[in-house]
Amino acid sequence: MFIRTVFEWLDALPTSVLLRESIYGYPIMLTSHVVSMTLIAGLLVMMDLRLTGFGNLRTSVTSIQNQLFPWQMLGLATSALSGGLLFYSQPMRFYGNFWFWVKTGLMLLALANAMWFHLTTYKTVAQWDTAPTPPSAARVAGAFGLVLWAGVVITGRMIAYSGLVPQWWIDLGLT
Amino acid sequence: MVLEVMEWMSETRLSLLFGSAIWYSPLIQVAHLVAVAVFAGALLVVDLRLLGTGLTQTPVKTVAEDAQPWLMGGLIALTVTGLPSLFQLAIKQYYSPFWWWKMEMLALGLIFIFTVRRKVLQTDESELGSFWPKIVGLVSMALFLGVTIGARLIGLS
Repeated sequence: MFIRTVFEWLDALPTSVLLRESIYGYPIMLTSHVVSMTLIAGLLVMMDLRLTGFGNLRTSVTSIQNQLFPWQMLGLATSALSGGLLFYSQPMRFYGNFWFWVKTGLMLLALANAMWFHLTTYKTVAQWDTAPTPPSAARVAGAFGLVLWAGVVITGRMIAYSGLVPQWWIDLGLT
Repeated sequence: MVLEVMEWMSETRLSLLFGSAIWYSPLIQVAHLVAVAVFAGALLVVDLRLLGTGLTQTPVKTVAEDAQPWLMGGLIALTVTGLPSLFQLAIKQYYSPFWWWKMEMLALGLIFIFTVRRKVLQTDESELGSFWPKIVGLVSMALFLGVTIGARLIGLS
């Protein structure tokens, strides 16, 4: 109930209403979100392909990690900004949307996977930096990254299909 | 002429099939988006390198050769997943200015990456200088940015 109260409060704020009622606001925010998604998801795919040992094998892992990182962060920042504004413009639409919550959960898991990799396996990268096949733990982290970010992209698109959800979600009566 | 083709497409079995079940259209659309991510990654990693940023410790030619299978794989997946939507929504798309914009940008983008960009990527870096690779990277990114914007706006037209 607390979450619903917060969402309702956001929904009633004047700037939220302003964004919601703007003719060009939604198309601009949505298009910006998709463009930034292609930047972050595209470059994450390239990095995770290297980690899994399936692509970009003649580039070292540290090179891919360090040199694509600023662009991935640019994508993440613009994606977070545009996504945040999209959410802010219609909080109550997202509150009852099954796919929004699944996407949020997958994003958190993807970030946790990246942090776990950096705090554990990546510490030994000097030993396998140029190896075409990284160690199993790195390959698993890369595979998880690919699956989780694909899930984020998929569930992000599915937000538009708010009716295509499991029956138990409908039974919760959140909408 | 084009309208007649689009009308025919909208009445084909493929179009009717994808309009017949509630899950077909979203499934195809999410598969299309995943293909976009693969194609965009393979395109961007090379275009950024042409701009003199990104994977600068690896030669342009190597970055491009390693990205090529993913670029082509992404393009094939985009075509396979894009055709059902094209057939199913043919009439709507015919009347959408954004669809025409997307197709024009896509045609220009594909011609560009398979001619000018390809030629630049096959040429020795020392012969190119620093100016033209940057222009090629910028044009490539701008054309496919145009495709992405057009594609997203079709649904809002």
